[in-house]
Amino acid sequence: MSRQYDVVVIGSGVVGSSIAYHLSERKTKKVAVIDKGFILTGTSGSTQAWVWVHNKTPSWYGELSMYSAELYPTLKKRIGDVEYKRTGGIAPFFDEKDREHALRLAEMQEKVGIDVKVLTREELLEKEPFLSEKAAGATYSDIDGNVNPFRLVELYTKAAKKNGVDFSFYNPVTEIRRDKGYYQIRTEKEGVFTAKQIVLAGGVWTGELGRMLDITIPVKQVRGQILVTEPLEPFIQTTIAGVRQAENGEVLIGYSKEEVGYNRQTTLDVMQETAGMALDYFPVLAEANVVRCFSGVRVIPKDGLPILGQIPGMENAYVAVTHSGVTLSPLIGTLMTELVMDRETSLDLSKMSLSRFERSAAGELIV
Amino acid sequence: MDKSVIVCKCEEVNIDEIETALKTGARHFDDVKRLTRCGMGPCQSKLCGGLVRRVISEYRNVSISEVEPPKKRMPISMIRLKALATDKEATKVISVFKESVSGVSRS
Repeated sequence: MSRQYDVVVIGSGVVGSSIAYHLSERKTKKVAVIDKGFILTGTSGSTQAWVWVHNKTPSWYGELSMYSAELYPTLKKRIGDVEYKRTGGIAPFFDEKDREHALRLAEMQEKVGIDVKVLTREELLEKEPFLSEKAAGATYSDIDGNVNPFRLVELYTKAAKKNGVDFSFYNPVTEIRRDKGYYQIRTEKEGVFTAKQIVLAGGVWTGELGRMLDITIPVKQVRGQILVTEPLEPFIQTTIAGVRQAENGEVLIGYSKEEVGYNRQTTLDVMQETAGMALDYFPVLAEANVVRCFSGVRVIPKDGLPILGQIPGMENAYVAVTHSGVTLSPLIGTLMTELVMDRETSLDLSKMSLSRFERSAAGELIV
Repeated sequence: MDKSVIVCKCEEVNIDEIETALKTGARHFDDVKRLTRCGMGPCQSKLCGGLVRRVISEYRNVSISEVEPPKKRMPISMIRLKALATDKEATKVISVFKESVSGVSRS
């Protein structure tokens, strides 16, 4: 049995589901999304979900993140309450010598319109009274915040379904072929899907999807582990780089990086380091109970920057894979829809093309 | 049974909410958990685990032994943060600030 679509998106994480939703808003094409698991079974369901801009470098990447953060307030009206909160974001530093670096960051980000303030200890403690007095200062921006990742992906998919998108879950793609201008996507459970256009949005698994088309999509798997506390009275006002308090009072803590492939175990050493970091930031957390640790495997392109656009030399095939998918998802959905539907985008995507890696192999500079 | 019966007490999730999640394509306990928060509260499904699996097994018409329990994670029971913390120099936990600053000096 063959299923015919105009566009098939592979991957229903935050990136794939946003693309599917934005495509479906045009109401002109028949769209399907195929996923090896269910929504939220992968990276998008195991994140602190900061909507984070101000520390993103190089500045053009920060600028891109800012445009995406700017789309968040309207998402609520479009797909429902994703519990987005523009709390402001703080990245503390503990050594006064770092102030110089902080000022340099602020200066660079200002050039692209990101307002970064460098806070003194007093200004910092005024914003976050429970933060450790050992902190020397922080970078801060109003633009940063956080979102509920569960609501976000659920509501992208719900809105897409309402607009007629078909979802096929627990159905791994096993083979992709190009035949007479169409893509034949073979799946484990539901046979072959046929599509004029395909979008690879498999997150951490996108490298494997690329191999099915004989192309290299250079992405790394980087594990992060997060501690969750019992619900506490609200005491953190902003989103801290490493710590945030959810609406229900739980505190989510962690910023770790380990390259251990797809392994999603939690490990005692990282939990202990993470708890140590929590106390460095908020000594008041000493008596709080930890109820759980979870881990997620981030996808990080080899050079850390998004891979977005048409796959070079392969008509009607597109790729969207990036770290910080939560922050970037509204913008990526918008841009990929423009690319797939209109063949041109409102922002220049050339810096994000997959071709930059090929250029690099030929001895030329990476962007 | 009345669909409004609370199954997960920590997060106040009822049968109807679990069945709604299953209707959207959720299959496993962890799928339902991420959509409804059932089993995500302080007890970490120690109280509701069996009940939620029963609701899932009845909805999917499979035996309860075929419904996997949710993923168990450390700490198995609650532990004070200060008891868990180490003051050894961190090697895998990093600072967002330091990471961004190294990006500035690179560019």
